[in-house]
Amino acid sequence: MKRVEIRLSLEAVTPLLAVMREAAASLSDGLAAANTLGDIEPDLRETWLDELLESQNDAIAVLLGLFDDEFEESGVIGFDAGNAEPVLRASAALRLRLRERFLTALSEEVLESGDLEVDSLEEPARRAFMCYLFLATLQELIIQHLDASILEG
Amino acid sequence: MAEHEQGSPEPASSTATALEPRWHVVVLNDPVNLMSYVVLVFKKVLGFAEAQARRHMLEVHEQGRSVVWSGTRERAEHYAFALQQWHLTVILESDEAR
Repeated sequence: MKRVEIRLSLEAVTPLLAVMREAAASLSDGLAAANTLGDIEPDLRETWLDELLESQNDAIAVLLGLFDDEFEESGVIGFDAGNAEPVLRASAALRLRLRERFLTALSEEVLESGDLEVDSLEEPARRAFMCYLFLATLQELIIQHLDASILEG
Repeated sequence: MAEHEQGSPEPASSTATALEPRWHVVVLNDPVNLMSYVVLVFKKVLGFAEAQARRHMLEVHEQGRSVVWSGTRERAEHYAFALQQWHLTVILESDEAR
């Protein structure tokens, strides 16, 4: 099984973990992406939303689980076919939530390109934007190295 | 607008299917999800080839929306749910509502 390990700077990443955990907690009872399926039958809608929420939070638990005691000692996180998909999805959920809560002042062009002088932002937007970029980097690494594993899984 | 067609309806349900409106799974643009991520999701969920996935991703990016699948309501709901699990913004439209 293909496995990708990344050594991260604890000094750089540790402050972002609090941002990630706070965003994750805010998603415990709500979906990250807007639900626009208004014409679904009420019974199905409730089940639909419950299952999406469960799926979302299961994935977020996998992502947060990467940053465990072992990570705090070594700074290393690893991806393989077993966690690549939930980490990708959880990263998307947290990025959507960070945008909604902290980054609405940024233009869509800036959000898409990430081209912004981070120090020009005030807290808490500055740290949220750094976390937003960090999660995008994780996604890009996974897609670059584990695309085939995800598609076969 | 290119659409990914599902296979032909089974003979036993062809009459009913013909009378039912076609449902369209429409993915809307968002500025957050990476282009490479959206391409991967289209390949994973809808079985698109790379070129087809990229075409639909660019359509979403440049035009704000793309119809990624059309067919029965039940299957459309299946795909919409799967795409929402990946946090894409999805709506369902029927021919009747258009």
